[in-house]
Amino acid sequence: MNLNVNGRTHEIESPPLTTLLDVLREELGVHSPKVGCEQGGCGACTVLVDGAPRRSCLLPVAALDGAEITTVEGLGAAEHLEPVQAAFVHHYAAQCGFCTSGLLMAATAYIANGGTDDREAIAEALGGHVCRCTGYVKIVDAVAAAARGDEFDLSVTAAGLFTTTMSGGAA
Amino acid sequence: MTVHKGRGIAAIEYPTGMNQNGDPSQAWIKVKPDGRIDVFAGTSDIGNGSKTIQSQIVAETIGVPYEWITYDNSNTDSSPVCTGTFASRATFVAGMAVKKAAERVRERILDIAGKELEIDPADLDIVDGEVIAKGSPQTKISVPDVAAAATWGHGELITGAGAQLKPYAAIVEPETGKVDLPPHSAISYASCAAEVEVDDETGEVRVTRLVQCFDVGRAINPTLVEGQIEGGAIQGLGLGVLETSYPYYPGMEHRGGQFGSYLAPGMEDLPVMDTVLIENPSVDGPYGAKGIGEMANNPQPPAIATAVHDAVGVWVTELPITPERVLRALQRKAAGEGEPTRKGKLIVYDEELSLAAVAHPDAPVRLVVDA
Ligand code: FES
Ligand code: FES
Repeated sequence: MNLNVNGRTHEIESPPLTTLLDVLREELGVHSPKVGCEQGGCGACTVLVDGAPRRSCLLPVAALDGAEITTVEGLGAAEHLEPVQAAFVHHYAAQCGFCTSGLLMAATAYIANGGTDDREAIAEALGGHVCRCTGYVKIVDAVAAAARGDEFDLSVTAAGLFTTTMSGGAA
Repeated sequence: MTVHKGRGIAAIEYPTGMNQNGDPSQAWIKVKPDGRIDVFAGTSDIGNGSKTIQSQIVAETIGVPYEWITYDNSNTDSSPVCTGTFASRATFVAGMAVKKAAERVRERILDIAGKELEIDPADLDIVDGEVIAKGSPQTKISVPDVAAAATWGHGELITGAGAQLKPYAAIVEPETGKVDLPPHSAISYASCAAEVEVDDETGEVRVTRLVQCFDVGRAINPTLVEGQIEGGAIQGLGLGVLETSYPYYPGMEHRGGQFGSYLAPGMEDLPVMDTVLIENPSVDGPYGAKGIGEMANNPQPPAIATAVHDAVGVWVTELPITPERVLRALQRKAAGEGEPTRKGKLIVYDEELSLAAVAHPDAPVRLVVDA
């Protein structure tokens, strides 16, 4: 069977009941989808299947012949981040980063489907994604900013956030 | 069915760094021929931002832009020892190791710049990547030029090492009960105010607002500090009303057997959240910083418990405050069985004594709102 991942078609050798998550990580070396619960409960493995966010830990690869899969590797590279990626950087929406790949893909689909910056709508759309680090505040901030189309100059972001005025205080 | 609103508040204190101490962190730094700075340290960044914060400390201490720092904690052979990221110590203890190493590097840069400029190093300062003569800022040499001169002219490598270790504490004299050293170096303080809605028919508690106020000593990176506190707050909300592995502990029945049977808070549980940082500098931390990693999820559960009492007039003395526990408490109250009580310690809080014990003597306490 064939799988199109981030614009490239691969012939898949794994047995048909292998999960899409395992195929991506183990056979194709695409590591952004994370292995969280493997029960559909955390969202860390979320990828886009023909544009829709799906939990790759629950999908047998045999059901996906010919499908188009998008992962974080298929979004922007460091120099050309997609708006939603830039918003995550600007708003410090990742700490350990384990939930981040899944959230980026779900947020990408949310915005592509016309999602707004309404915080309740964001929480409803992304509510199935567990994050143990951030407390969600900065994630919702980032998704709302991307939905609004806010633009960020990330070089300024870094300078602004990293330069605190430490001199003059306690030694 | 009525939904009752309530508000509660709780305050905590928390020791920073490993209690009893004896936990070393080491760092070493070298300057490349182009003036860029390589930091080798063993602190693992688990998402708390320690790489960023320690790089900021190095940049600030030497006097060069943040972008010039490369922080390598990837290799336990090439990086010195760090006991680890725990006990809220990655900034407070390990941050001091990189700060001391950076101070050595700064001295070495000034030494070589002094030779190049033929000025006493004591009369030089480093500002934004340039060594300048105090009082005569036109007389200057850039740090890259100093590094090049060290490499190609003086035949030297600019490097510095630093370590932080508070000796083991709390050897108790059996006769007097006296302790030789205090068991910790800084105390952080925090409070949390919670607003809840309690449904007296279902017993469900919804946390609608959390306001937390944390004494962080010095917020070296305010956004990262805020992220730590927000993350802790949601964990605290989980501990307060949702999360338990053993709902009938010590009984083993109904313990969670899989991911889906453990209730961690999700985005839809997110209350309105405000975070206030108070900067009450420590004596021993880098630039007055204290650690807030572990304490971040402490004040919410008791604040939620007091808010529940405010809402429906019952004390739930076990966490999490599940619908079942709320309903049982309401039933006991209705039956006139009285409320559960638990005898706590009476703590007399002496603000002056307390601040004097933990604050830097010269530094004013600063409030950073909406960091
Ligand atoms: S790993 Fe797929 S939902 Fe958790
Ligand atoms: S950033 Fe660690 S789980 Fe979300």
